[in-house]
Amino acid sequence: MGLINNIKSYSETLNLSAEKKGLFNSFLQNGFPTIKDEDWKYTSLKKIIAEDFSIEKTGNDIDTSAISKHSLSFKNQLIFVDGKLISSPQIKGVTISAYADFESRNNDAIMNLNASLCNNGFNISVAKNTVVEQVIEILFFTTTENNFSQYRNQIIVGENSEIKFVEKIQNLNNSTAFVNYFTQINCDKNTNVEFNKIQNNTSNSILIDNVDIYQKDNSTCDVNTLIFGGNFTRNNLNFEQNGNNCESNMNGVSVLDDNQFADNHTFVDHKSAHCRSNEMYKGVYLGKSKGVFNGKIMVRPDAQKIDAFQSNNNLLLSEDSTIDSKPQLEIYADDVKCSHGCTIGQLDEDALFYMRSRGIGVEEAKAVLTYAFASEAIDNISVSEVRLVAQKLLADKLNVDLDFSL
Amino acid sequence: MSEKRQQSEDKLLEKVTTTEYKYGFTTNIESDTIPKGLSEDVVRIISAKKNEPEWMLEYRLKAYRAWLEMEEPNWANINYTKPNYQEIIYYSAPKQKPVLDSLDDLDPEMKAMFDKLGISIGEQNKLANVAVDIVMDSVSVATSFKEKLGDLGIIFCPISDAIQDHPELVQKYLGSIVPARDNFFSALNAAVFSDGSFCYIPKGVKCPMELSTYFRINEAGTGQFERTLLIADEGSQVSYLEGCTAPMRDENQLHAAVVELIAMDDANIKYSTVQNWYPGNAEGVGGVFNFVTKRGICYKNAKISWTQVETGSAITWKYPSCILKGDNSIGEFFSVAVTNNMQQNDTGTKMIHLGKNTKSTIIAKGISAGKSEGNYRGLVRISKGATNSRNFSQCDSLLMGDKCGAHTFPYIEVKNNSSKVEHEATTSKIGEDQIFYCNQRGIGTEAAIALIVNGYCKDVLNQLPMEFAVEAQKLLEISLEGSVG
Repeated sequence: MGLINNIKSYSETLNLSAEKKGLFNSFLQNGFPTIKDEDWKYTSLKKIIAEDFSIEKTGNDIDTSAISKHSLSFKNQLIFVDGKLISSPQIKGVTISAYADFESRNNDAIMNLNASLCNNGFNISVAKNTVVEQVIEILFFTTTENNFSQYRNQIIVGENSEIKFVEKIQNLNNSTAFVNYFTQINCDKNTNVEFNKIQNNTSNSILIDNVDIYQKDNSTCDVNTLIFGGNFTRNNLNFEQNGNNCESNMNGVSVLDDNQFADNHTFVDHKSAHCRSNEMYKGVYLGKSKGVFNGKIMVRPDAQKIDAFQSNNNLLLSEDSTIDSKPQLEIYADDVKCSHGCTIGQLDEDALFYMRSRGIGVEEAKAVLTYAFASEAIDNISVSEVRLVAQKLLADKLNVDLDFSL
Repeated sequence: MSEKRQQSEDKLLEKVTTTEYKYGFTTNIESDTIPKGLSEDVVRIISAKKNEPEWMLEYRLKAYRAWLEMEEPNWANINYTKPNYQEIIYYSAPKQKPVLDSLDDLDPEMKAMFDKLGISIGEQNKLANVAVDIVMDSVSVATSFKEKLGDLGIIFCPISDAIQDHPELVQKYLGSIVPARDNFFSALNAAVFSDGSFCYIPKGVKCPMELSTYFRINEAGTGQFERTLLIADEGSQVSYLEGCTAPMRDENQLHAAVVELIAMDDANIKYSTVQNWYPGNAEGVGGVFNFVTKRGICYKNAKISWTQVETGSAITWKYPSCILKGDNSIGEFFSVAVTNNMQQNDTGTKMIHLGKNTKSTIIAKGISAGKSEGNYRGLVRISKGATNSRNFSQCDSLLMGDKCGAHTFPYIEVKNNSSKVEHEATTSKIGEDQIFYCNQRGIGTEAAIALIVNGYCKDVLNQLPMEFAVEAQKLLEISLEGSVG
């Protein structure tokens, strides 16, 4: 158990507070989850934690060309290198600061580890009645080699405010990097928040990404997850609706090849009445890639008049690709409409034939159909730049030179 | 208007939740019972009482030793006090074991009990063309139509007789689909099962009648561990019915059965269950714990179809499964699961696709009322070699009342890229607009709910053989009385 030992000896060099020590010990008690844990049934960390990662090493400086190379060129850029804030935009009503500790209710093992060891990340707080028209781009660079690092971020959105984010975590060298990333978003009353995650990291990066969202009355929160890169990606996305008339929307597109692995875990906790949730995850699997989807909708007692929809559609395009899907409903209130659907299949042969008989090459025809399949989720993204990036990455991944935006 | 409807709905719900179990009575037949508790000696006693050959005792002891090392599973979404396995009587047989030439020889009291259940054997013999093998507290007491079936080479007898008369078949197939080590309850069953049914359909034979068994737990504090082994040889066809009703008891009773089906090449097995064990009273006191392992294997072009109507038991833990081993084999699962009062139900199916061009269909309908919890838990696994496989699953839940719960936990694992898998699930209550539509057309609220529930279950009830469809309808009525016409 290489990693656990490294973590232990690292923790001894720190002067942890009693509270953090408690969290750390509760992590040690359980250790990293194994496939015997129901939530990690299809996702094995065994290989990863056997590696000899260093812990929280400091990284190198980066040159500015790297920033422009990986950026989506939004005006408002928030740039981090190894969790240290190096540049932040000035926006009226928005306060951006470097890491400040905060408490979280999430106490699974990996989150406890994050809470106890982390000392990097950001805090964004949006004042009441602030509408930020411009998208905020969060660029999170890691430069350390062969390192396991924890990051912890908080976004607090005040009443009647609106804001949109695009987030990218990027490894700048070719060594393996293991990142345990946590973002907590608190949406106050009447807020509207959109969070876009573009996960197109280097082919040897490992990411466990946790997003916890707490919503109050009349708030709407959208989280869009685009997975194209990375070696191992685990996304935990948890919504907790603590007020009436909330809306939670999730869209996800995963396009994987080679030995990539991606696991999307979502959980929507409907605690109040008159709320909605919509979930659409699309997966395209090539090469020897493996996908996992686990979506859970929970409707608590007395959370009446809930509409909850979840769909997970998957295309297996190669012989060695696999998918494990586990959509779940747990309903304790009767006046609800909840459904989930899950499909696993291939491209329609007839549609392919139709296109080929009209002179479209087989790769292009497949790409067009695959794009059509994924576009249902992509089209729900309101930021046009993100849609364009998704289209471009999809074309790259399918090895075709097509502009889907036409 | 809406207030009135609300009132009538409340009334219906009250009726639903106050309906008492109608089959609660006990029959006073002297039983031959061994002291409670489980040990290697008990296993030996059971085996000796049944005069079993050495290999059978070995099999039981091996299972018992495996069981000792196992832990009772707790992954299912149910809450209950785990039974004390030393407080259970593992063997109970009616003392006066009648060897019957005809039904007239049957103990009059027992006959009266069957009449109360509405399964009058005489009547069924004459009218329904059904052969009934009645298991009462684990030992078969009446077997009918045995001769007629014998002419076709069909063996249909209590499994204890099969161990004596057809050891080669039993030894070959017993535990081949559900090994003793499979799970906690299958190990327990393998160690202590006292009886059950055995059925063998020879090559190319189409069984001319529905085979049927009724199980009944009678003696207080006895666990029922029956074992069913059904072998359909190449090209044969059989439809098997299993029905259960148990009398009212205050303490929980354990029922841990194992059913194994073997469908050889081109064979076709239809296995239908109506389960109505005592569900406990409205406070959740008493009731049967129903922990059952049912599994079948399909060889080339074979088909296994499970149909179940589950209305009883305090706790149900049951996943009839199909292993689709041969190419072009087909597995089906149709289920209606009703829970009321404090009942809890964790049921579903497993479809394991191994062969090419295998197909499976899952239709599961859950109805939860009162304070009950209904769960669907299912697995569809397409392995790498199962090219062109196809699965369709549909799980719907209907909630009646705001204190009950309905949950769905499907597992879908696909390792083959030429296969298609679809799964859909919905949870909702009966729409006010649906009831309004019926009311508008002169159909009372009660009749409207009945109509809607019947329509909701139709896909499954249609799969039942005629003889059972009637009884299933009746059980739905009893279980949800007031809301099903």
